[in-house]
Amino acid sequence: MSELITIHINETEYKVEPDQTIMQAADKLGFHIPRLCYHPKLSIEGACRVCIVEVEGMKNYVASCAFPITDGMKLHTNTKGLRRARRDIIELLLDNHPMDCHTCERDGNCELQRLAASVGIRARHFEGEKKHYEKDISFSSIIRDPDKCILCGRCVRMCSEVQKVHNLTQAHRGFKTVVMPAYNMPMSESVCTACGQCINVCPTAAFLEKNYTQELFEKLNDDSIVKVVQFAPSVRAAIGEAFGLEPGVNMEGKLVAAFRKLGFDYVFDTQFSADLTIMEEASEFLERLQGKAAMPMITSCSSAWMKCLEQFYPDLIDNVSTCKSPMSMLGALIKTYFANKIKTDPKKILSVATMCCTAKKYEAARPELDVDGMPGVDIVVTTREIAWMIKSAGIDILNIEEETPDSPLGISSGAGAIFGTTGGVMEAAIRTAYELFTGQTLVDIEIEDLRGLEGIKEGKVLMDGNEIRVAVAHGLGNACDLLDIVRQEPDRYHFIEIMGCPGGCIGGGGQPYAAANSIPLDEDCLKKRAEALYDIDRKKTIRRSLDNPDIQQLYKKFLHSPLSKVSHKLLHTHYQAKTPVGIIPKK
Amino acid sequence: MPNTEYIITLCDGPSCIHKGSRTVKDALEEAIAKHNMQDKVKIHLSGCLGMCSKGPIVIVNPGYTIYGSVTEADAAEIIEQHLINGKYVTRLVVDEDHLYNRFFRIFGDNDFFGKQMRITLRNCGIIDPENIDDYLSLRGYEALAKVLTELTPKDVIDEVKTSGLRGRGGGGFPTGVKWDFTANAPGDERYVICNADEGDPGAFMDRSAIEGDPHTILEGMAIAGYAIGSTKGIVYIRAEYPLAIKRLEKAIEDASKNNLLGDNILGSEFSFDIEIRLGAGAFVCGEETALIHSIEGSRGMPRPRPPYPSVKGLFGKPTLINNVETWANIPVIILDGGKWFSSIGTETSKGTKVFAVAGMVKNTGLVEVPMGTTLRNIVYDIGGGIEGGGKFKAIQTGGPSGGCLPEEYLDTKVDYESLAAVGSIMGSGGMIVIDEHSCMVDVAKFFLEFTQDESCGKCTPCREGTKRMLEILTRITQGKGKPGDIEKLERLGTMAQRSSLCGLGQSAPNPVLSTIKNFRQEYEDHIFNKKCVAGVCGALLTYTIIEKCVGCGACKRVCPTNAISGTRKQLHTIDQDACIKCGQCYDTCKFEAITKA
Amino acid sequence: MLTPLEIIKKKRAEAVSRIISKGYLSTKRVYVGMATCEIAAGSKEVMDVFTEAVSKGLTDVYLSQKGCAGRCNLEPTVEVVEEGKIPVKYGKVNKERALEIVDRHLKNGQVIKEWLI
Repeated sequence: MSELITIHINETEYKVEPDQTIMQAADKLGFHIPRLCYHPKLSIEGACRVCIVEVEGMKNYVASCAFPITDGMKLHTNTKGLRRARRDIIELLLDNHPMDCHTCERDGNCELQRLAASVGIRARHFEGEKKHYEKDISFSSIIRDPDKCILCGRCVRMCSEVQKVHNLTQAHRGFKTVVMPAYNMPMSESVCTACGQCINVCPTAAFLEKNYTQELFEKLNDDSIVKVVQFAPSVRAAIGEAFGLEPGVNMEGKLVAAFRKLGFDYVFDTQFSADLTIMEEASEFLERLQGKAAMPMITSCSSAWMKCLEQFYPDLIDNVSTCKSPMSMLGALIKTYFANKIKTDPKKILSVATMCCTAKKYEAARPELDVDGMPGVDIVVTTREIAWMIKSAGIDILNIEEETPDSPLGISSGAGAIFGTTGGVMEAAIRTAYELFTGQTLVDIEIEDLRGLEGIKEGKVLMDGNEIRVAVAHGLGNACDLLDIVRQEPDRYHFIEIMGCPGGCIGGGGQPYAAANSIPLDEDCLKKRAEALYDIDRKKTIRRSLDNPDIQQLYKKFLHSPLSKVSHKLLHTHYQAKTPVGIIPKK
Repeated sequence: MPNTEYIITLCDGPSCIHKGSRTVKDALEEAIAKHNMQDKVKIHLSGCLGMCSKGPIVIVNPGYTIYGSVTEADAAEIIEQHLINGKYVTRLVVDEDHLYNRFFRIFGDNDFFGKQMRITLRNCGIIDPENIDDYLSLRGYEALAKVLTELTPKDVIDEVKTSGLRGRGGGGFPTGVKWDFTANAPGDERYVICNADEGDPGAFMDRSAIEGDPHTILEGMAIAGYAIGSTKGIVYIRAEYPLAIKRLEKAIEDASKNNLLGDNILGSEFSFDIEIRLGAGAFVCGEETALIHSIEGSRGMPRPRPPYPSVKGLFGKPTLINNVETWANIPVIILDGGKWFSSIGTETSKGTKVFAVAGMVKNTGLVEVPMGTTLRNIVYDIGGGIEGGGKFKAIQTGGPSGGCLPEEYLDTKVDYESLAAVGSIMGSGGMIVIDEHSCMVDVAKFFLEFTQDESCGKCTPCREGTKRMLEILTRITQGKGKPGDIEKLERLGTMAQRSSLCGLGQSAPNPVLSTIKNFRQEYEDHIFNKKCVAGVCGALLTYTIIEKCVGCGACKRVCPTNAISGTRKQLHTIDQDACIKCGQCYDTCKFEAITKA
Repeated sequence: MLTPLEIIKKKRAEAVSRIISKGYLSTKRVYVGMATCEIAAGSKEVMDVFTEAVSKGLTDVYLSQKGCAGRCNLEPTVEVVEEGKIPVKYGKVNKERALEIVDRHLKNGQVIKEWLI
């Protein structure tokens, strides 16, 4: 530990650790300096100038997020001049922002609103022209609304530093500055992977998911169709936050009840198809292990990751599992197996998926995942959208009785639950693969090496004396780093799990916005959501996918065996190298 | 000086004074008086001319004849022989290096060059920039050879520190200290960058320096490379300077061929390469962190400092960035010594500064003067006074983000501190002379339009604040100014000054705040009296037809809104409500019968 | 082995002799300003006039380009340095003036005073 140094904040002396910024030191001492563009997971931007403080002996204010403390430094966080400058700065942001809070999707959830209230803007002095750019609604997943943008640059940094997709950048200069994909291409033609992390970190509504709630409400009133919904593991672990609960409350039972109250005829659990995915994927892995296809095998359930792969790692497409994602597998079964079971024309079934994810909207629209020319999933709504629908429909989710999902696509093992967190797919796959390979049951099924929020995790499993080396990456940036290693050392791993979002699906782009006292993608929050899933797993008696009775039934009655012809038709697909129109150089 | 035939420049540097130049001056004056030539001969004292070993120095112009080691006894002979008989006093002529002396030839144009002192531009306009032989013949690359032969890297840094040279790009940071920081920053690789991203409107110091003498820059950079332990130099120059780029490329090629760049320079252990990177012309890329981002291939936007580039610069490595003009000083400092260099200028600002003088001044152009020269000297002596006979109103220094100073500050000396003390900046050396026909609100608006447009858009105060300021200025010039507008400008201006991320935003309000400070009455006239005394702001003018009107009807015919009425051969009148102040009647009237005010 | 200083002095001597071999010691030397600003003001045309004159037999003249000396409002500038005479600078030289400078000054030694700076 280095020697403490002395700083003065607002005339009081403190002893603090050296080598930190003013903001870091002040935070620990209980001075929460207002801030906007700062995010602990991103590089220091110093752009918004909201976090300015006064340092004695310096002519200008300094951004506390960027400026290091020094021994003897005397700083002030609340002088008259400082408060006025800070207020003026936020007022200037408001002046170039549409005054449409009442009709804005983030009304009540907006960092700018909260900030303006906290510095006490009561009058407006400088109003004038506002910038105006067209809203980009081209993409199936994400909407870009530059008019709402206050240019904090969080999305740009998220997209390039954490996700390493580099889709977003500031363009033009001065007052005309705007965040856009390269060449101002529509989002649909850009390299955007639809991960939605820009939405998560945006303090306003400059990025939003494409909203399907109105359409869904209309269809829920249509008695001529059968309304089926599935919901992802991590939705239940996070949706409570949208209703004011602490992160990590398992809302599964209440959510199922709420779905029924909303008007869904059948509620299925994506965890069921997670189990199914494991059956197929573990079998595929064992085939590859025998030299039938390229190694290492890489998982394919994260839709943002699949777009990333097609664009940036086409050389590794053969390494990616041919399994569809759990959502698409379940969608395919709903339109075939289930339709047949309830003797309904699949065209009369509305298949809805409630996902933590914005990229699933894009995935649902992919033609290569269609079943007999029909999409397996018709509408994807995010955790945020369904939370709003529940509120809008007046359903008191916190106080309703819990219910269970429907059979035959509703029962799941603990392995299916942990799909929602980073490392979970791998852990689930090993539980089943081990048994399929060795014929014996794995005793120690909790694989600690693969849990937690470290960017890239590695582990080893012994199967009949064979060492199986596995790796797990979450967030596309970490995924890129891991795949760069794979390109260099193709034999280093046998099996790799990749999730497009930080923390896996629990940190998905469609999850509830950070609470007022929190920050987007707060690590504690992610850990609590993950813990909720691990808790579901622990409490289950069935914790291996192959032990799931509904799964066994499904194979017996319909699919016959993993990797069967039917399985291949319905549950598998192939991906192809893709260069989005937007980044092909013009001739 | 219509009658002046000769100008005698007497070096008044410390060394020459010590050797008796003041008595030489007395003797010269005596001799001039004796021959009754006071009207024809003018003596002027210059700062150190850098020929101390030959002092006292007397230069007779026109003819740039240089006499050295002049004594009191020689004075009369110079006057009689040279001025009256037209013959050189051969024994005193300094002619040790025929080609090097071409440097002084430019003094022939005495009105303009007489008060200048050219160190950074010493070869500009003298040599053929595309011929390395010309540069070599003027002791080119001798400074580099000298450091490689005689000096340790630390010696070089010490010499630069001794010189007192400060960054000429505008910041004024002590150059030697910057070198020292970079040299001592931990890292295996270091970079040397020349900032040639000259973006101020109307500024062309860097372009001229590179076009006129590209090798000096390369030599300066190589010397720094040796001093800080770098093998890689980059010149970041804007793509809009094709000729400068071409000459720089040629210079790099020639220098490499001559083993003055590349591996094992001049047979030494030291290797140094220089490459050129083109900027796309964003003003903000002159800011060093934005420049670094631009070279790295990112959008040119500044980042907060610290860490400074000297510690964490290009690709995260310690990086030394200096401006073109700073680099051009380095070879001179090495050759003639930091001590000599520090004898020029003021207490805090050493050496010379190049200014691009423009605006309502007779001699517009590039001038280089010792620090400490007054603004008045530059405007009236070198610049020749106000063009068109108008009255001086203000001088704007420091480019688009400098301040506007009124007549009372004309005796301000140009150095970093003095200009800052009166509310302006040295900047990179823009200097615009403004006469009474300019409206100061309009001037402030002009400069703010530029900085507002060139803001990178990253930080709020600069991006949004300057926009609102511009809106307020625009409405004031349109006659729609409101009470409280001046206060709003001050409030936004000081906020942006203190809160912006980089120098661009911090200095962008300067033209506005300085004009409010020095010309507040004009602002008030616009807002409260709806008057623009300079007659610039069209919306505030009133056109009136006076008694001189002969009733020709010409004005009536050109008026696009039929605002003018009157019977033929009788006094016409303008309907002020219908008048759109287009000024066509004013331009058309041949009898000066229409006034605007 | 030579030190860098010794090498550079040698290089300088070579450079000087190369310049002299190009005719630097001619009795007349003509310098035409050729910076961007001067070129924009028309100095290329002016340079062409002198180049042509030299190629068509104007002897004893050393012709060279130079950078900007900073005399913006008087560009293009041409400087004539004549052995034993006071050097002169012409301002605002165009093609016509250049032709006359060749005829009157360079060929006949007559300084055209009204165009001097």
